Amino acid sequence: MRLLVVEDSVRLQRSLVKALRYSGHVVDAVGDGEEGLWLAQSNAYDVIILDVMLPKRDGLDVLRSLRQSGRPGHVLLLTARDTVADRVHGLQSGADDYLVKPFALEELLARVQALGRRAHGLKESRLVIDDLEIDLLQRTARRGGLPVELTAREYLLLEYLAIRRGQVVTRTEIEGQIYDGQVDPMSNVVDSAVCNLRKKLALVADAAPLIHTRRGLGYVMEASAVRPSG
Amino acid sequence: MKSLRIQLTRELIIVLALLWGVALLGIYGLMWRQLNRSFNVALEARALGVSALVEQHAGRVELDFSEKLMRGFMAGKARQYFELRDREGGLLARSDTLGDNHLVPPTGPATDKAVYFDLDLPNGRPGRAIRFLFQPKADDDRPPTVTSELIVAVDREDLDEMLGGLLIAVVSCGGLLLAAVFFVVPSVLRRGLVSVQRLGMQAARIDAASLADRFPAGDLPVELQPIAERLNDLLARLETSFERERRYSADLAHELRTPIAELRNLAECSLKWPAARDATADQDTLAIALQMETLVTRLLSLARGERGQLAVQNEVVEIAGLVAATWGPFADRAAERGLRVQMAVTPDDLSADPVLLRSILGNLFDNAVNYAPIGGEIVVSRSLSGGLSVANTVDQFSPEDLSQLFERFWRKETARSGGNHAGLGLSLARTFASAMGWRLEAALVAGRLVFTLERPQTPAP
Repeated sequence: MRLLVVEDSVRLQRSLVKALRYSGHVVDAVGDGEEGLWLAQSNAYDVIILDVMLPKRDGLDVLRSLRQSGRPGHVLLLTARDTVADRVHGLQSGADDYLVKPFALEELLARVQALGRRAHGLKESRLVIDDLEIDLLQRTARRGGLPVELTAREYLLLEYLAIRRGQVVTRTEIEGQIYDGQVDPMSNVVDSAVCNLRKKLALVADAAPLIHTRRGLGYVMEASAVRPSG
Repeated sequence: MKSLRIQLTRELIIVLALLWGVALLGIYGLMWRQLNRSFNVALEARALGVSALVEQHAGRVELDFSEKLMRGFMAGKARQYFELRDREGGLLARSDTLGDNHLVPPTGPATDKAVYFDLDLPNGRPGRAIRFLFQPKADDDRPPTVTSELIVAVDREDLDEMLGGLLIAVVSCGGLLLAAVFFVVPSVLRRGLVSVQRLGMQAARIDAASLADRFPAGDLPVELQPIAERLNDLLARLETSFERERRYSADLAHELRTPIAELRNLAECSLKWPAARDATADQDTLAIALQMETLVTRLLSLARGERGQLAVQNEVVEIAGLVAATWGPFADRAAERGLRVQMAVTPDDLSADPVLLRSILGNLFDNAVNYAPIGGEIVVSRSLSGGLSVANTVDQFSPEDLSQLFERFWRKETARSGGNHAGLGLSLARTFASAMGWRLEAALVAGRLVFTLERPQTPAP
């Protein structure tokens, strides 16, 4: 998932980014409200982790502006304010979740994961496409009951395509989600990553292809493919 | 428990009952007297009528009995009686109504002056009588020589009936009024004291959660308005101080939660991904510990200062030297931010606690160096009254900020990204100044924030 962390405490920001990246997410991080709002409005983040007390622009203000501009990203407020009134105020301002500092790292990761699933309309932590089964919590994939060995980035690509099953996913979207948007537009890094993933998913010789190329558009992951291509 | 309404009700009922009782008794007394007087006047007129019929002729007394005039004294009517006696008490004449009976006067001789008295009439009924001496007129031109005694009595039943009726009227009236007082006074008082009761109920509802409520002083009677206004003032002060305490607790929790969150995340990251442990992790841990240590030390100093537990040891301090020494650690930071610094403190000796004074100046310098805009100016000088003044140019600092400047945890920027700046420095400086008996004030003068540290008028002991 692509995440944005807006937190003014440098040390907390650093450890949050580290934990989220190690958990397989693509993370952008900024330390003030204005820059946070600009980034949130310019990119499609699955989840935004937003501190409330921020320099330049208050977190709740950023949240309201985001909601007014109609950005769909899910927002988790992170704050030291712990009263019921603060939580209610935060949730009423448009937040999807609220976590009080100090918090358990595992809880934050689980909540981010849950918000990510909600962002894609998923209620369960398991995705099944044909004989492919993805465990979103364990971050593992099995095909026909056999484990599929994937690198962190390959898993991210698989998860993203699977979450958006049946939809055409463009190369630009994949670049933004998996590569932080830091990809040379002329490179074929996305194509080669998809190619590698296809190979790893083909555990047996007659395995049905799951990832299909739509020329000029992007890729679609679906079970009922009848015309393998690319 | 003493109740204003019950006490007022009881006292008003007693006072009103007494007043009504006295008034009714007075009315009854006046009417009793008037009726008796009218009755006596009528009796005297009748007696004079009888005496006019008595004549003397050559030393003998004769009664010129006229049936028309004496109709009331005739037997059968039995309501009026008279008895005529000579000076020695010998019976001369009496009315038919008396028969063989006598009218018994009080003991003692009769006089010219008419005397009224009550008696039992021969028919056994109560009566009223008049008795006096008179000289019957002579039937010739000779002067009268004989003196006679006349007693006239009448039945007083009508008078007694009238007086009895009056007494019943007065007593019933009194009873009715008393009942009305019992009914009316409590209800009038209840209605009259409704504002007091409402004020009391509203006051009873006040608690920590309702300090924003106010008494509607405008709707209350004038007598209660000052109470409501004072209570409202008190509530406003309480609300402000509760709000300050609440903010203080929230700020304190916030100041502690953020470094704890940093520490916890740091530790959890290291435990979860031990191979990827940052080289800066230990430095971060130390920085967080130092930040929390500074916070706790400052809070403790504040608490001690506010409780008057700071031991102040005044001694002679050379002020220019102290200012220069305190400024030293801030010089690099000031140069880094391009601040122009002007030190205009001439050498002079002051009586002060050097540790506290240094701490106050340190906090003021820290504030000036960190919050003056880049390229701004800091001026340290002696104030007019012999104290010290630290001024720095400010950017986006409003007069409203002045009132909060010395509050614990207040910072112009609400975010808590300032590391060791928890917003306690200025409140600490003011607490230290008061501990020394000095005053620390702030003012906004021509785009500069000026802190003035005033010495006491008389040196602190």
